[in-house]
Amino acid sequence: MAKQNPSLLKDLPAIQGYGLAIVSVAIALGIALLMQHYGLRGVEFPLFLFAISLTVWIAGNGPAVLAVGLSCLTFDYFFTEPLYSLYIRSSELPYYFIFILFAILLAWFSSARRRVELELLQSREELEREVAERTQRASLLNLTHDTIFVRDINDIITYWNRAAQELYGWTAEEAVGKQSNQLLQTEFPIPIDDVRAKLLRNGRWEGELWNTKADGSRVVVASRWSLRRDERQQAVAILETNNDVSDRKRREEEIRKLNDELGKRTTDLEASNKELEAFAYSISHDLRAPIRHIVGYAQLLQKNSSSVLDEKSHRYMTMILESAERMGTLIDDLLAFSRIGRAETRETAVNLDLLVKEILGEVQQDITGRNIAWKISALPDLYGDRSMLRLALTNLISNAAKFTRTRPQAEIEIGCLEKNKDEVVVFIRDNGVGFDMKYVDKLFGVFRRLHSADAFEGTGIGLATVQRIIHRHGGRVWAEGLVDRGATFFLSVPRQRR
Amino acid sequence: MDILGRILMVEDDPKDVELTLTALADYNLSNEVVVIHDGEEALNYLYRRGNFKARQSENPAVLLLDLKLPKVDGLEVLQQIKSDEILRVIPVVVLTSSREERDMVASYKLGVNAYVVKPVDFHQFVNAIKELGMFWAIVNEPPPGSIRRK
Repeated sequence: MAKQNPSLLKDLPAIQGYGLAIVSVAIALGIALLMQHYGLRGVEFPLFLFAISLTVWIAGNGPAVLAVGLSCLTFDYFFTEPLYSLYIRSSELPYYFIFILFAILLAWFSSARRRVELELLQSREELEREVAERTQRASLLNLTHDTIFVRDINDIITYWNRAAQELYGWTAEEAVGKQSNQLLQTEFPIPIDDVRAKLLRNGRWEGELWNTKADGSRVVVASRWSLRRDERQQAVAILETNNDVSDRKRREEEIRKLNDELGKRTTDLEASNKELEAFAYSISHDLRAPIRHIVGYAQLLQKNSSSVLDEKSHRYMTMILESAERMGTLIDDLLAFSRIGRAETRETAVNLDLLVKEILGEVQQDITGRNIAWKISALPDLYGDRSMLRLALTNLISNAAKFTRTRPQAEIEIGCLEKNKDEVVVFIRDNGVGFDMKYVDKLFGVFRRLHSADAFEGTGIGLATVQRIIHRHGGRVWAEGLVDRGATFFLSVPRQRR
Repeated sequence: MDILGRILMVEDDPKDVELTLTALADYNLSNEVVVIHDGEEALNYLYRRGNFKARQSENPAVLLLDLKLPKVDGLEVLQQIKSDEILRVIPVVVLTSSREERDMVASYKLGVNAYVVKPVDFHQFVNAIKELGMFWAIVNEPPPGSIRRK
């Protein structure tokens, strides 16, 4: 805003002020003498008064006194008898007195007026300063990313910052003067009267609102309201800030949806687990019965008709029985395998030395007559389900015994690798028939066998069971081998309780 | 119906019934066996109601109970028997195909006297049945009120 130059009303420097007094009186004298010359008499009085009032207006009281003095002197010298003398007749004294009185009155009015004008000017300057300050403040509010607007107590928008324009799409010119709820089509989570009540009580309110933008799209905002009161504590305005939380809301919604889906999938999984369990349960009951019947009747037949059957028929009977019994073993192994997946693990501290000793005692009856050199190192303690670990180690040790059957001198080594302090790695090494490393991935699959049933019996579930047990313990199993050069099976189990 | 027998066998599968009776025949125990085909009938027999109103009041010396039965399953029959003041003294042997741990645990919790998994191999099956029959019907002294040996 351009500033008017207020210099006319400012006190002049003293020298200029007194100079002005002298000059204005001199000009008034000149004009009066000129007038007198043309026969116009009696104008000197108002001319001098004019000079004095001009002086007092522009230069203040001091120069005005000088102007009054000078006026008196020049009036006495040029215009009263005797002319060109400073002598004052006593009869003229009242005349001078009135003149001075006039001059003083004039000066007084003039200075009063001047004071009023100065005050006016001052308050106007203050006003301008305030306007500038507010403008600056408003432009600061424009800098913030938060949407800020102010509305009066009737909800009419009185201020609208730039972020509000960016969020909602209306400019300040468009928004100011509008009723905010109508403009934004605000949807409140609770009745508006409750919002107002809370605002009046606490001076604040915050909550989430649905507003509509200029383009018609909806937006969720975290809204904060502050109430402004005047000196008499009357509510006059509401300052509202809005933060767009639509993205957050959307993400929350997405997370909620994902959680729901996860919950659903978990339920599905639980359901299919239950189905599997029911399946295993009915296998356990229903599949074993017919096998038992086949075996039972075949054996009865064998017994009752052994005299009438020829050798070939006997062989057929034997084949039927062998197959049926093999089927029974398969079912039992498969059930044991599925039970490992379903059973809860009961973890305790397990003394591996003791466990291996027990297992060796157990497999002893299967290896009577075999020549096996056992080499068993000290084994550490670990944490796990003892019966499951027993099953896993039994499978591995029986395997080692089984696949060294063709060796005149079998060697089986059970030991432990101290690789790190977090896990225990146990290995079982044999000098048996080994395997081709290209099939290593197939070793631990269910029903995977690398040897024909003629060479080595088995159902192909043993190593799958081992793997499942160790995985349930949070460990790993792996193997190394060479055809005809033996195999080593490793298993790792975390040393600490999980 | 006036059937007398010391062994009450509850088994719905006729083949299992036949094989079991064959196994018991060697010990002349097959004529001691009363065969019931479902859980509801078993309870009717024990409580002497329905078809069995007329039977004598003595209890069997042993009950061979399959778990998978039509209508009322074996565990429910077991529960009923073991919660009945009079019937609870009857020795109950669960004879089942299932090796499921939960069946075993549930049976023992209900107070079963023995739990036998039917072996697949017939010789083993025959041996198991014979030993069961021998023990419960001949060796074991049944509680008072049971049918006595003829």
